[in-house]
Formats: sequence, structure tokens, C-alpha cells
Amino acid sequence: MRRIDGVRILGELLTPEDLVINRVGPLSDDWWNHRPQAADMAFAPVILGSITSTALGLALALPHRRVAAFDTDGSILMNTGILVTLGNERPPNLTVFVFDNEVYESIGSPRTHTAGHTDLAAMAEGAGCLNCVTVHDEEAFAGYAGSMLDDGEMGFLVAKIEPGHDHWPWEQRKETDGVEDKYRFMRHVEQLEKTTVHDLRFW
Amino acid sequence: MAELSRTEEVPRYAELMIEGLKEAEVSIVTALPESLLKSLYRLLATDPDIRYVLVANEGEMPGIAAGAYLGGKKAVMIMENSGLRQALEPIARFALSHRVPLVMLMPYRGDFGERTWWGHSHAQTMEPILNALSIPYRVVRRLDEIKPAIRKVVTHADSSQYPAAVIFADECLETPRYAKD
Repeated sequence: MRRIDGVRILGELLTPEDLVINRVGPLSDDWWNHRPQAADMAFAPVILGSITSTALGLALALPHRRVAAFDTDGSILMNTGILVTLGNERPPNLTVFVFDNEVYESIGSPRTHTAGHTDLAAMAEGAGCLNCVTVHDEEAFAGYAGSMLDDGEMGFLVAKIEPGHDHWPWEQRKETDGVEDKYRFMRHVEQLEKTTVHDLRFW
Repeated sequence: MAELSRTEEVPRYAELMIEGLKEAEVSIVTALPESLLKSLYRLLATDPDIRYVLVANEGEMPGIAAGAYLGGKKAVMIMENSGLRQALEPIARFALSHRVPLVMLMPYRGDFGERTWWGHSHAQTMEPILNALSIPYRVVRRLDEIKPAIRKVVTHADSSQYPAAVIFADECLETPRYAKD
């Protein structure tokens, strides 16, 4: 399967009532074009190794709301310690999707360790995570993604994807930076939760 | 206050920190336990009002605290000051690329009078790292400073949309059995 197919499926399964922590880069452009109702429901930290940890904090803060992490093999491999914390917290409202293309694609595609002997779903399971599955095709991805988002338990779905991606035309790429992303996401959370995350009004 | 076994005394600093966190409306604390605040971690692990998230590596904490903040909760990360080095990359990126506030509490390992040979490097790098990132911090040495410092650091991080830190020293640490002063 291709990464874009997975993102398209997630765009159909998720709603603006859900929250997403995404990986910056082409995955963000994919989501920008497939997010439901163009909602600012995703925040993409430009931090390899901190995607799933950010989603974990968000899921613990809002246990009544579905949270999805869109992570990658390179990012998980940079901070595998998060798997043991995830496996001990097991937030029932969090589903982690790992797009595993087995290469560091944006820098010329040298291979990652998942191209060798490393199995991220097996690592997550050994770390105590629940519902750890690896899929290789769209049909299986859609099936597991749908059930994991709705089953009231944490999920860890590794999607083995084909290396190679098409760049979005310039006018369809995400047009916001990391600070604007934060404010847009914050305001979306405030609307959903009918609360104030950060009050800018002058004292 | 959390229940402890009868043989374990709760040091005043730890009680004040728990009270300070609650008065500042902190509801999520992520930490990697160490020795200088060890009674605090014991209390946090059983406190019914604070969601305590134990991590295996300080590098996990900025993400957890950032995610909790963006979800509308006041969150704090607690680590030994050597953990600042371990967590530095995500701290720097949340600060500089996203302006996400992170509230950091640390004991001052390597403070003047340090007895361990290995603790000095913690101090040698802590303040230069905080200064390099322009992260505001205060060193708190007296018990009566604990609660105001926690309240202020939470407010400061939020209003600046940037990390801020409190470093605890002297009266605000676990008293080592070998301490003589």
C-alpha cells in the first residue's frame, strides 16, 4: 500500500471531533488534503521521536476524545522508549498509526532498521501495548484502523508502505508553519472542549 | 495527601511541592525519578488528584507535557538536571519551532558543595543550556519559596508560550543521610 492510501482512509474514518498528532513533512501535506472538513484537528511537531509522546499527553489530557498519532518508522526508532511508557499507560482513546516505509526517504532513502530485523509491532507488544498489528495492504489497514479507533482500547497499527511518494503541487501543500499550526490546533481544541487553553487577552 | 507506610516520613519540601502543584492547578506530571526529590515521586505516584506519567527516558517528557498542554491541562515535567541534556532536542524544538510552553522542575545536582564527583557536570551544563535557549529559570533554596515559584513558573510558561524552569536546591531537596551542614 501507499502512504497516501492510508491517509485517505484515515481522513474518511476520522471526524473533526477527533484529534491528530501528525508527522511533519509529506505526511502533513497528505493530511492537509484529506482532513475532514479542512478542520484544524491536527498538530505536527517538527520533532522526530516526539510524535507518539505528544499524542500520549493529549490522550491523557482528553480521555473522552479519540486521539490518533500518525508516526513513522524513523521517528519511532529515534525514541523507542516511548513504547514502554505507552505500554504501561495504555490510553484507551489513543491509536498509533506507524507508516513504515523502511527508509529515510526524505534524505535519499538509506534504509532504517525496520528494513532489517526490527519489527515495531512486536516491540510495542513486548513493551506492553495492546492491539499491535502489522498490515501490508489497504483493505487490512482500513479494517484494523476502523476497529482500533472504535474499540475503546489503545491500538498500535504498523502499515508497511511502499517507498516513494508523489509531491503535492505547490498550491496544495500545507501553508502554515509550526507556530500557526499550534495556535490553530489550540483554538480547535478550545472549540471542541468549550474551554480556554491559552488566553491572549491583555491584562 | 497520599498514604505512606508508617516508617516513611514525608519531608516538608515534598508536601509543599504537591500543595504547590495543586494550587497551580497542575493535573498531569511526567517524571523520571531520581534521588534528590525522591519523596516527591513517591507522593506523586499515589496522589489521586494528579495524573502521574512515569517515563523511561527524559526525552519522552517534552512530548507528553506538550500534548497535555495543548489538550488544555496544566502539565509539568520533573527530572534531574542531567535529564535536561537528554531531553534537550525536543525541548528546543517545541520552544523554538512551535512556541509550546513546557514547565520544568529540576533538583540542582552539582550545586556549590556537591559531594559526588559525577554530579558536577550536571551543574556545569544546566545553566548554560537554559541560557542558550533563553529559558527563564529561578533557583529556589528555601521552603517558603516553593509554592510561589511553582505558581509563577506555570503562569510564566503559559503567558510567554515558551518553556520556563525552577531549580530546587538546599532546603528544597531530600536530605542525604551523609549531609553534615
